[in-house]
Amino acid sequence: MELREKIEKHLLEIQKPSRYIGGEVGSIIKDKSKVDVRFAFCFPDTYDIGMSHLGMKILYSLTNERENYWCERCYAPSEDFETIMRENDIPLYALESLDPIRDFDFIGFTMQYELSYTNVLNMLDLAGIPVFSKDRGDELGQIVIAGGPCVCNPEPLSDFFDIFVLGEGEEVNLELMDLYWEMKQQGASKLDFLRKAAQIEGIYVPRFYSFIYKDDGTIERVETSEGAPEIVKKRIIKDFDKVYYPENFVVPFTEIVHDRVSVEVLRGCIRGCRFCQAGFIYRPFREKHTDTICRETKCLCENTGYDEVSLASLSTSDHSEIDSMLTQLIDYTAKEKINLSLPSLRVDNFSESLLEKIKKVRKSGLTFAAEGGTQRLRDVINKNVSEEEIMNTCRIAFQGGYSAVKLYFMMGLPTETDEDIAGIAELAQRIVDLFYSIEDRPKGRGVQVSVSCATFVPKPFTPFQFEPQDTREMIEHKQKLLLDSVKTKKIKVAYHDPNVSQLEVILAKGDRRLCKVIYAAWKKGCKFDSWEEHYRFDKWLEAFEECGVDPAFYANRRFEYDEILPWDHLDYFVSKEFLIRENKTAHQSKTTPNCRQRCSGCGVNKKVGRECFC
Amino acid sequence: MLRVRATFEKCGRAKYISHLDLNRCMLRTFRRSGLPIWYTEGFNPHPYYSFALALSLGFESSCEILDFNITDDDMSMDEIRDKLNAVMPEGMGIVKVALQKQKITAIAKAEYTFSLVTDNTDGLFDAAQSLIALPEILIEKKTKKGIKEVDIKPDMEILSCEKTSSSVDVRMYLPAGTQTNYNPTLFIEALKRSTDIPFEPQKIRREAILCADNSVFE
Repeated sequence: MELREKIEKHLLEIQKPSRYIGGEVGSIIKDKSKVDVRFAFCFPDTYDIGMSHLGMKILYSLTNERENYWCERCYAPSEDFETIMRENDIPLYALESLDPIRDFDFIGFTMQYELSYTNVLNMLDLAGIPVFSKDRGDELGQIVIAGGPCVCNPEPLSDFFDIFVLGEGEEVNLELMDLYWEMKQQGASKLDFLRKAAQIEGIYVPRFYSFIYKDDGTIERVETSEGAPEIVKKRIIKDFDKVYYPENFVVPFTEIVHDRVSVEVLRGCIRGCRFCQAGFIYRPFREKHTDTICRETKCLCENTGYDEVSLASLSTSDHSEIDSMLTQLIDYTAKEKINLSLPSLRVDNFSESLLEKIKKVRKSGLTFAAEGGTQRLRDVINKNVSEEEIMNTCRIAFQGGYSAVKLYFMMGLPTETDEDIAGIAELAQRIVDLFYSIEDRPKGRGVQVSVSCATFVPKPFTPFQFEPQDTREMIEHKQKLLLDSVKTKKIKVAYHDPNVSQLEVILAKGDRRLCKVIYAAWKKGCKFDSWEEHYRFDKWLEAFEECGVDPAFYANRRFEYDEILPWDHLDYFVSKEFLIRENKTAHQSKTTPNCRQRCSGCGVNKKVGRECFC
Repeated sequence: MLRVRATFEKCGRAKYISHLDLNRCMLRTFRRSGLPIWYTEGFNPHPYYSFALALSLGFESSCEILDFNITDDDMSMDEIRDKLNAVMPEGMGIVKVALQKQKITAIAKAEYTFSLVTDNTDGLFDAAQSLIALPEILIEKKTKKGIKEVDIKPDMEILSCEKTSSSVDVRMYLPAGTQTNYNPTLFIEALKRSTDIPFEPQKIRREAILCADNSVFE
């Protein structure tokens, strides 16, 4: 029986079958007899989530521009379909050809969050591909690679992958495929290929590196072999305005998380919030011209038929031409009856005129990431937002007809005290009070302030990479304190499960000894760890126990400044000296100005070979 | 303004598009086509279009009906058809575009075909014949008010019931439209209850949407 027939036999037994059969508008079909290299682009979560990922859309279209390369999509099946696949010997397949991905040349995963690691193992297993790279043979083919933010510390995944691609993939992915095709024609072995691939800037081949540990468990040194470079540099696109951007997206039938056109307006961030990994690993700051943004918006809306556009960036309001950009975009979207949504607008430069323009488009929610409850703590994390600015923005918003505000905070930040936690409730209360002090506030409605509290997770390549995470007991104490400090029903409090954040930090800051823990946890049935209903912390604890790995070593220990960190051999352009300097400044509760105001010497400009702002 | 009625097919992979998803899909198809479709004039203007009947997930059809309005009076029906067909998803195609003739309420029934695949075609054929010959066929139908027992026999018209080497193929009329809607799975379920012979329904397809006098709804 053909695979498609086997799949269709069961499609009506499962939820949202259109996720598993392809045929969407915009999906790219090629004649496989004319294709030289096949790439399965895998997202280690369900279709609904993976289809929303912008990076995958970019690399999918980019690869398919090359006539002889075929990039296809692949997602993790939901539990109902996974059961059917396993019962009926349906191997994991790609959505364009419906061919099993085990026959592809490349199986590429994008690693967006730590809690998707077990899904990678599960997907490889469903595909019939051995999960350990050492078990996949010497023949050239079935190269399992990964990219995305998590690979800035890929060590916990290093036993499973052949290659990690560091940084931006637009150029290096094709270079890697070109090398592969060249060597495939020469009849090279997998090892030959990996040896040569390791010489490409941005390519990290973990098997050529070995870690030697000290008695106390920290790293003694890293040894390289096969001529692989001691330090692997990430890749960036120098001319961001000219970088490839898709003219079309695959348009799903079923509703996905971000069901709209996304247009990337800038990359990197000038802010330097000390907890934010994206703010450091995506440096330098680069932006697209207004004309480019408008052209790409128009093109994508026409080709996909979407009636909603979102601007993608870490901080859209930091675009140097934000006013003219929004004016031009709103002219177009209003005429075409398209909704424009603007996430990532910062509190401090949220002007009245900007708000007016946004209001003309659509009234959506108002969300501020204040992150810390007191000014002292906000200074520690370098979230350069003052209470005055928050209040000002809320005033403008309330006068503009808003009556609901969402505030994001973190709990367990370095130097945090009970006073800072109580400060969250106090800040929320002052926003409630502000609402009732405004005469032209929206009538007939009460104010609703939603406080959402995440647990702080220290991440590699941030000034807080050295910091320990609060223990579960500490976080539970703080959560209770916060709840007790809220005196009104107009303030709603939500927070994250600290057990999830603990696993996140371990996987983020872990080393190679975590590979066996991830494998053991997956064997015990862990998958979809980011889904509350699937998360089994007890199974993870068992896995740690059985592998003799102490979670607290990674989660609750301060990493010393002079310690060799598991990611020190990877170069994300931000220097370790800078991160140490920033960490010390944080502990003095001192801020660092943003990159536009003054260069703080992170080292990126030296690596790129030019100043970030002229 | 042109009040337009398009007849389209929904086959192959498109049969896995649910009715809810089909709405979103058509909205995007209209936008891609660039056709001057009429928008509602309320607070939140959106393109006006409506499907005559919903089609169950997994069914194919060659006769689905979609009504919408075109603001350009000079546009030809062929141009509308071609512009839509250029941007329709795989498995969906506009068969015909014409001005709306009848009211939606004129729809009275629909014609369906399906194959019941089995190893025992003789047995299943006999079981189907006996079921059809019964004076009444009671089925449990879920309604808004709960589960109701209905007799589908009086409203069901069997046009043909034939044996092939591997299946029993049925062609039938069932009530459709604004009043009563019966789904062919009701008959299939009744057959499942009346026999122990295992079979699998396949290729369930709506072939025509009809008025009370069996003429094609236009």
